[in-house]
Amino acid sequence: MVIQKEKKSCGQVVEEWKEFVWNPRTHQFMGRTGTSWAFILLFYLVFYGFLTAMFTLTMWVMLQTVSDHTPKYQDRLATPGLMIRPKTENLDVIVNISDTESWDQHVQKLNKFLEPYNNSIQAQKNDVCRPGRYYEQPDNGVLNYPKRACQFNRTQLGNCSGIGDLTYYGYSTGKPCVFIKMNRVINFYAGANQSMNVTCAGKRDEDAENLGHFVMFPANGNIDLMYFPYYGKKFHVNYTQPLVAVKFLNVTPNVEVNVECRINAANIATDDERDKFAGRVAFKLRINKT
Amino acid sequence: MSRKTLEIYSVELDGTKDTKQTDQEDDKKYNDLDLKKSHQKEELKRELDLDDHKLTSEELEQKYGTNIITGLSSARAAEHLARDGPNTLSPPKQTPEIIKFLKQMVGGFSILLWIGAVLCWIAYGIQYVNDKSASLDSVYLGVVLALVVILTGIFAYYQEAKSTNIMASFSKMIPQEALVIRDSEKKVIPAEQLVVGDIVEIKGGDQIPADIRLLSSQGCKVDNSSLTGESEPQPRSAEFTHENPLETKNIGFYSTTCLEGTATGVVINTGDRTVIGRIASLASGVGSEKTPIATEIEHFVHIVAGVAVSVGLLFFIIAVSLKYQVLDSIIFLIGIIVANVPEGLLATVTVTLSLTAKRMAKKNCLVKNLEAVETLGSTSIICSDKTGTLTQNRMAVAHLWFDNQIFMADTSENQLNQAFDQSSGTWASLSKIIALCNRAEFRPGQENIPIMKKVVVGDASETALLKFSEVILGDVMEIRKRNRKVAEIPFNSTNKFQLSIHETEDPEDKHFLVVMKGAPERILERCSTIMINGQEQPLGKSNATAFHTAYMELGGLGERVLGFCHLYLPEDEFPESYPFDVDAMNFPTSNLCFVGLLSMIDPPRSTVPDAVAKCRSAGIKVIMVTGDHPITAKAVAKSVGVISASSETVEDIARRCSIAVEQVNKRDARAAVVTGMELKDMAPEQLDEILANYSEIVFARTSPQQKLIIVEGCQRQDAVVAVTGDGVNDSPALKKADIGIAMGIAGSDAAKNAADMVLLDDNFASIVTGVEEGRLIFDNLKKTIAYTLTKNIAELCPFLIYIIVGLPLPIGTITLLFIDLGTDIIPSIALAYEKAESDIMNRKPRHKKKDRLVNHQLAIYSYLHIGLMQALGAFLVYFTVYAQQGFWPTSLINLRVRWEKDELNDVEDSYGQEWTRYQRKYLEWTGYTAFFVGIMVQQIADLIIRKTRRNSIFQQGLFRNKVIWVGIASQIIIALILSYGLGSVTALSFTMLRPQYWFVAIPHAILIWVYDEVRKLFIRRYPGSWWDKNMYY
Repeated sequence: MVIQKEKKSCGQVVEEWKEFVWNPRTHQFMGRTGTSWAFILLFYLVFYGFLTAMFTLTMWVMLQTVSDHTPKYQDRLATPGLMIRPKTENLDVIVNISDTESWDQHVQKLNKFLEPYNNSIQAQKNDVCRPGRYYEQPDNGVLNYPKRACQFNRTQLGNCSGIGDLTYYGYSTGKPCVFIKMNRVINFYAGANQSMNVTCAGKRDEDAENLGHFVMFPANGNIDLMYFPYYGKKFHVNYTQPLVAVKFLNVTPNVEVNVECRINAANIATDDERDKFAGRVAFKLRINKT
Repeated sequence: MSRKTLEIYSVELDGTKDTKQTDQEDDKKYNDLDLKKSHQKEELKRELDLDDHKLTSEELEQKYGTNIITGLSSARAAEHLARDGPNTLSPPKQTPEIIKFLKQMVGGFSILLWIGAVLCWIAYGIQYVNDKSASLDSVYLGVVLALVVILTGIFAYYQEAKSTNIMASFSKMIPQEALVIRDSEKKVIPAEQLVVGDIVEIKGGDQIPADIRLLSSQGCKVDNSSLTGESEPQPRSAEFTHENPLETKNIGFYSTTCLEGTATGVVINTGDRTVIGRIASLASGVGSEKTPIATEIEHFVHIVAGVAVSVGLLFFIIAVSLKYQVLDSIIFLIGIIVANVPEGLLATVTVTLSLTAKRMAKKNCLVKNLEAVETLGSTSIICSDKTGTLTQNRMAVAHLWFDNQIFMADTSENQLNQAFDQSSGTWASLSKIIALCNRAEFRPGQENIPIMKKVVVGDASETALLKFSEVILGDVMEIRKRNRKVAEIPFNSTNKFQLSIHETEDPEDKHFLVVMKGAPERILERCSTIMINGQEQPLGKSNATAFHTAYMELGGLGERVLGFCHLYLPEDEFPESYPFDVDAMNFPTSNLCFVGLLSMIDPPRSTVPDAVAKCRSAGIKVIMVTGDHPITAKAVAKSVGVISASSETVEDIARRCSIAVEQVNKRDARAAVVTGMELKDMAPEQLDEILANYSEIVFARTSPQQKLIIVEGCQRQDAVVAVTGDGVNDSPALKKADIGIAMGIAGSDAAKNAADMVLLDDNFASIVTGVEEGRLIFDNLKKTIAYTLTKNIAELCPFLIYIIVGLPLPIGTITLLFIDLGTDIIPSIALAYEKAESDIMNRKPRHKKKDRLVNHQLAIYSYLHIGLMQALGAFLVYFTVYAQQGFWPTSLINLRVRWEKDELNDVEDSYGQEWTRYQRKYLEWTGYTAFFVGIMVQQIADLIIRKTRRNSIFQQGLFRNKVIWVGIASQIIIALILSYGLGSVTALSFTMLRPQYWFVAIPHAILIWVYDEVRKLFIRRYPGSWWDKNMYY
């Protein structure tokens, strides 16, 4: 019938904690003696050492199943995606003609991006290939024989090459160049032996109106078969990705224009409901003029 | 303390003490206690203050404004009814259903999940403010979390409601009617309309409809056993015979039964103000303790919630200091909480408990409160009632004495094994007296029913004698027919004997036979000879001494002793046509021939001694608490083993050594018999001392209040106390106990309502089954929890790694829920079917405060050993999927930001290929599925190792528990359905996983199994070692 007080005073709690942290009578630190702690630490050292070893071993075994030059599975990459340069936040290319800084960063990025395409570098590193057919390079018995790449010269981009261009890829004049590139996929024979090209259009009718005229380099937005297949970055060291440049000539200023570019190729579907970037790319274009 | 309280306290229900004398003493004794108790409790524990039994009928008429002849007027009765309310017991206050439901919604882990859900919505709110087109993912997650809480809440509520409903049927009482005199007319009205002052008539078979003061009676006897525990019928008359209202003969109590006779009385108390009503309110006022398993689960919830909150906050801080946005940090926090909370576990525990409850119901233990299933397993003290629980609640012949010898009779339930010597001539005579001098008869039409089950018209002793002779002699009715009765004097309290005169069965023999039975000393007075070995001998001094020794010995066993004698009347004095006249007593009633003694007892149930022994070997102390006489109580205690054969009480030692009780060293005695009187004078400390020092204790002559005190005393010893009982008087103690066990057949409704468990067969042995099941469920719950907790680490690590190393998220929050509420549910329930690893009935009951359900060994072993292995195994599958798709493990580090950027559609993998956002997302989902499958595969190994905690799996038998395999199959099937069936449903983020990935984690699963076998091997090899202490959970 004696009702025991369950609640402890604050001081008692502190006292109990103190004793838990260091108990001078039993020489226990956090409820364990020195020896016990030593045992515990030793145990976990050994145990976790063993676990690490085990994990490393299984990972090593797993990595043996992975080849250096081709991924084991490519099922996710059946349809390569399309992407634009300059790479911008949320994929909107916004150009304030009067505000140099608004497009200067794009220009910097493009300069850097296009550097490897310089004719000199291409000539030095890559082969001149025969257009209109795949540049296949079988191993011929030599495993993982290093592969050569075909030249894509910067000059092929015409007015968008930026060579001797005082308009900074057209950004200073409100006639910007946007570069379309197709994602690299190893051993992908794009186009299925037929020619392919990139086309662009406004997404809706009003977009189409606002978009105005544009020109494409190389002409018609063609992508040549000789740039395929891709053999992977380890063996296809100097691979140069083909580009298509689009120069927008008279975009209606001060309006946001939704542009969609897609590739027309026999073996690339561009109507994937879920993947909005499969074989196509959508971006916003806005030229601000005061 | 006020004077009034003292008076209230002073009247004990057994009431053999004079009230006024004890007032002062009680004052001192209870004073210090009273101070510690709340006033309310005081009120509840108040005892009877009633003086109506002392009043004359005129005074009564005056007090209640009634008339004994004409009764109340209807108007007056209506007035009283309006004032006092109906004559019913107010049902105990019930928690409103909505409160019960809401409690389920916020109990356990629910709060954490609610926090998670709210955080989700807050996160969405922030996103929405920043970007109107923010994805609704976190809203969905919040809704899913809320749904999880609500569904598990509804489930728990449903389970609870279901178990409560079982009992609802018990509490339904048949509407009662009463015969009342009102407006000078006899009317039958519903008993609930009775009011104070009503004049009621009762007859044999009725339940007394209210507390009544008897005004007149004809041979009225009542059964007070539900109130006081006395199993014998109590005579009732109009005379005031005792100060104590419970002892006096002129009061009949509400809900007791009138067995025979008729009586008229005035209603003095109705409804809750009746004695029963007060005890009932005493019961409902006693707070029932939180069940041990509830405490354990609370403790476990605290541990897990503590881990969840501290890890969550720690990583929130880390995330913020790693320059993550607050929004992202909140999302991490949600993931961590969801990973840490075993969402399905509480539902699993409920199911597990109800499965055990069902199993126990099959074995005649009906569990009202699910959590009580385990309580019985941790019980360390059983306070058992005597009558009806330990004993059969009927009289049976236990011993016979004739030819100077004591013989033992079979008192088991069927009495078929009567092994005593029946060849003596004395036995022939004795058996004839037993058969003939008996007014009890079998009710006709029971030819095919076994003798012991036949219904008998007659009182308990006569019934016992009738059945006894029927078993031994055969058809008693036939014997009586052959020995026609010519005259009879029934038993009465002045004569204290019963006599009948019969013709003999030999048609040639014209003697009359006088047979007589009664109180042994009275019978002996009337005898001048004694029959030894069939021969009449003069009753010498030595015979008389032998008689007294036998009488004392049988009396000392707590048995009711009867003496038997007979006399053949001389043929010449009493010819065939002699007119026997029982009033004139024109026949000899002295100088008879003494034949023998026979003693009866309420015999213990035959299964009880074994059950008590099992309890003892299971480390459970069995204490007998009874309202019965100490001598009887002790005798029964000895015969059932509550006091074992080798144990002695202080008094026994004193008698054996012929020294005074005070001189005996109390430490020598293992057993103690404490009476209510002694208990009353005891301070709580003294009671504690008795409970602690004696292993075998009998409390006799106790009142309901004292039962409560005893239970509280036991609970002060940190014991988990089970109380068994059947009477209304037991209900407060049943309620107070950690687990109250009521008798299903003999039990009163009040007892059943107060109890947590009902023994449907009234068999104490069922308790042992219950203990076994309870202990098993505790062990198995440990396994279930260990199993469930293990994967928490495997679920948590992905988030931690994601935050710190920046890998693409290995497993999504929704996917986690599919493990917790999908694949893991059936396996964790399957562990409830696991058989015990060793003889669980041979170990001590667990210590309430030391042997926790979830101890730190269990948490550490689950989290830091097996859990970590699982995490590594699951990561292996995850890395395999990414590597084989083109992202080598090294390339994943710090990939998170680029990986999750929606506008980045050309993220480069290890081979130089470029991935769009959706392609990456799909790969991420494949990663989720892979991680999920990794955990699932290893949970199979985890399930198998959790079958045992100490023994090897091969000792336990891999295939003995088939349900485990059902669980494993369910795990695999659910995972297959999720991956291949729902792989195309985007919202669930499962993908069709390549078949070979299902096998990647198998080496780790095998490692888990081997590691655990090694752990168990060392535990078995080196008990008590450092390993054992740290690795056994």
